[in-house]
Formats: sequence, structure tokens, C-alpha cells
Amino acid sequence: MQQFVNITLNGLTVGFIYSAFALCLVLIFRATRIINFGQGAQAMFTTYIALEVLQRSGSYALALLTALVSGFLLGGIVERVIVRPVENGPEINAVIVTLGLFVGFVALAAIVFGNSFEGFAAPFGVRGISVGDATIAITPNNLYNIVAVLVAMALLLCLFRFTSLGLQMRASAFGQEVARLLGVRVGRMLTLGWALAGMFGSLAGILIAGGSFISPSFMDGVVVFGFVAAVLGGLDSFVGAVVGGIVLGLTTNYVQGYVGQELQTLAALAILMTVLLAKPGGLFSSSVARRV
Amino acid sequence: MVLEVKDLTTTYGPVTALDGVSLSVPAGKVTAVLGANGAGKTTLLRTVSGLVRSRSGSVLLDGQDITRVQVEEMVRRGMAHVPEGRGVIAELTVEENLRLGSLFRKDADAEERIEEVYTQFPPLDSRRKRSAHTLSGGERQMLVVGRALLAKPKVLLLDEPSLGLAPLIVNQIFTLVRHLVDSTGLAVLLVEQNAKSALGIADTGVVLNLGKVVATDDARALAADEGLRHAYLGF
Repeated sequence: MQQFVNITLNGLTVGFIYSAFALCLVLIFRATRIINFGQGAQAMFTTYIALEVLQRSGSYALALLTALVSGFLLGGIVERVIVRPVENGPEINAVIVTLGLFVGFVALAAIVFGNSFEGFAAPFGVRGISVGDATIAITPNNLYNIVAVLVAMALLLCLFRFTSLGLQMRASAFGQEVARLLGVRVGRMLTLGWALAGMFGSLAGILIAGGSFISPSFMDGVVVFGFVAAVLGGLDSFVGAVVGGIVLGLTTNYVQGYVGQELQTLAALAILMTVLLAKPGGLFSSSVARRV
Repeated sequence: MVLEVKDLTTTYGPVTALDGVSLSVPAGKVTAVLGANGAGKTTLLRTVSGLVRSRSGSVLLDGQDITRVQVEEMVRRGMAHVPEGRGVIAELTVEENLRLGSLFRKDADAEERIEEVYTQFPPLDSRRKRSAHTLSGGERQMLVVGRALLAKPKVLLLDEPSLGLAPLIVNQIFTLVRHLVDSTGLAVLLVEQNAKSALGIADTGVVLNLGKVVATDDARALAADEGLRHAYLGF
């Protein structure tokens, strides 16, 4: 029983981080129908910047702020300067550009920050919480991760549901031409979408880094799982991304705990195939048939 | 003149879709652009509102040249364009679609004016929080017309509002447009394949064929011209 609780809690923590990462892929896909394969590399890069700040100032709060702001700026700049010229071209162009971003950022990080592993101190304790005489695997740092992702999700939800800006972003995503005719500055909304995605990715990056090591390739695994989570959810649904991330986090942890660690990735693939066979559009795809 | 189109030419690669089209829409009048499929009607509206760039010619709104103005800017200048195929954003709710209509207007009475749209189109009232893709064709048309009017435009561009609608609904929409034009001085540029209904509410008719204006006349005179009707209007 204790093992089950521990595995579940661990799975939830990991799942929330996958969710956060899936969310940023969804944010971008909804708005521009592009999968940003460079997202993880961007997040890795901003985590390095945050680590620099952490080492120099000793303040985690300042490092977190740096990660979020630089992620926001980087996302916006990437869209405006690099992605914009290929946005309306064939899909393959955008795919290649974002793959190029991935390679470019990883290489740049290796040049600037070095190719070795660097420790990133956890902001909160990493020892399990004791309940009676049993120790639960969830640590204060895990709790912090979950709360941070939940808060970020809630803020994002509020932005999209309750503000005019969010409405304009959704309109740009679902009906670009109509939105422009109604006076929505679609170009700015797209840049903002990429910037928000960059910020979310950076959050996922710094949360994963906490209490662990970072290297230019430390986000690669998260990109894969985040992508699978996003596809599970239907690629254009926020709820889908969150549910997809949690399902994936839990399943891979159960497989790891009860079957064997080496099967973890295979399990992710199996889930992906099962869901796509049963529901090719993903679990929560929100697109509706459109008259053209 | 609220809207003046002068010698407008638009090309898609080697194809000339509009070839020196000129027309004008005065305040409080409806100008109907008629013609067969492929005559250039939709291209005309898309060029006027800036969705498509013209190769030459000019568009004037209240005497100001707006030929090179960005699409996003048009609605702020007083032009509303309801595109072909309804133009509702199906993933948003009815209410959200309407809120987009008064987006950039900072009027204090924006909420009230949305309420007015509900009064004007009762079927929308009961579906406020419903996703717009649940609406019928007629309701969608009501939604886009209501939404366009929230921007308080000087000129309204309507692209095939009758497409796929039952005659009764077409009649309702046309009657409403005519009423708005008469009561508020709105100028309407209406594009229609359904020439008979369109000439019924229009003041002036412009017949397009292969991108060129072949006739401009009083709507009643056009409807009475049997040769023209048979050749271009199909009734």
C-alpha cells in the first residue's frame, strides 16, 4: 500500500510537469498549427540562465523570475524573427525550422555554458514527509512543483476565459481571417502565444532542474513525454494536455515501479498507440467541423 | 459617398479576377453586386476590405484613401465585412462571438448594445453560452450580422448572406438589412448570386462578368431588363 501511494504521488508530480510542457506545445499548435520542437531546448537555455542568476545571487525567487521573463522574451522573439516567415508556408518548412531551433539552442548552450552536468539546487527539501511512522515519497519540493504548475495553469485559464486579451487570442487561433476582420491584431496575438508558451516551457524546465542536474540535453526526455501528452489530449485542448500529462506520468511510474524501469518509454508509446487507434483525434480535441 | 471603388484591379498570379471595377455606395443605400460564380464578386469584397491586395485602383471610405490600410484597421475606420460562409468562430460561444464585435469600441454601453442584438435576434438570446457551432445556418447569419453591427460601421460588406438558407430566412435577413439602412443611414455593399432577392432590397445593382462591370443601374431597371437578366443573372 505504501509503495502504491508513493508511486502514485511520484507519478502525479512528474505528470504535472509533463502537463505544463504539453500545455506550451498546445498553446502554439492551437494558434499556428506548428509543433515547436525547439520548445524543450528553449526551456533548457533559460534554465541555464536561471542557474547563472541562482549561483550569483543565491536567490531562487530571482532565478525563477529570470527563467519566466527570459522564456517569455525568447518565445516572442523566436516567433517574430524566426518562425513568422514560414508560418504561412508548407508545414514541413515550419517543422524544419523548429527542429533547427532545437539543434541550434542545444549547440549554443554547449558553447556558452559547457557540455558538463551542473547541479541545480532544489528550492525546497527533497526528503519525504513523515506521516506517523511511514514516510511518504512526496517531498516539499514535489509539492512545490505541483502547486507551481497548478497556479500557472489557473492563471492561464483566467487569461483565456475572462479577459479580452484571452478572447482575442482564442479568436486568432480558431478563426484567423474573421478575427482580423473584427479588428484583432492577429500577428501580435501569435507572438504573445509563443511568448506565453516560452514562459510555460521555462517554468517546466526550472521545476525539473530543481534538485537535479542540468546539461544541454536535460530537457530531451521531457520534450518526448510532453509531446506524447499533448497528442493524447488532442493537440489543441488545454484540458487534454493536462489530463494527457497526468495519465502519462502515472502510467509510466506504475510501469516503472511494478514492471521494470526499462519498459517506461515503451509504456508511453503503447498508451499513445492505443489512444490514437481508438480516438485518432486525441482524447479532447476541441476542433469542430468547419464549413469551407 | 461613403464607399467609392475606383478602377480596382486584382490578380491572382496570371489570373485577373477584377478588371478595373468602379462603383460607389452612398449612405442609406444598398448597392448589390451580382453575377455568376467566378465573376469576381467575393474578390471585390476581399479587395475592398484589404484581405487581398489590389494591383491597381483605389478604395475610398468617406473620401479617405484606404487602399493600403491593414485589414485589422478597417473596422476601426468604419468598415465591417461579413465574409462568405457565415464567419462565425465555431469554437467560441455566441456571447464571445458578439463580444468580439465590440472589441475595440471603448463605449460604455457595449454591454447594452450586445443586449440589443439579443432583442433583435431572439433565437440567439437562449443560446448565449452555447458554442456557436450548435447554431443553425440562419442563426449563424443573425450572429454575424449582429456582430458586424456592434462595431457601428459606416459601411457593411455582406458576402452571399443567402447562401444555403431557406427563402423565409433570407427574406427575414434582407428585410432587417433594409430596415437598418433606412433607419441608420448605413451603407451596404451586398454581393449575391441570388439576384432576384438582392435586387428586391437594393437601390443600385452592379453586374459583374469575368471581373468586369457590364452594367450599373437602378435596381428596378436592372430587374426589368430581360436581356441582361437572361445573360448574366439567371432569372
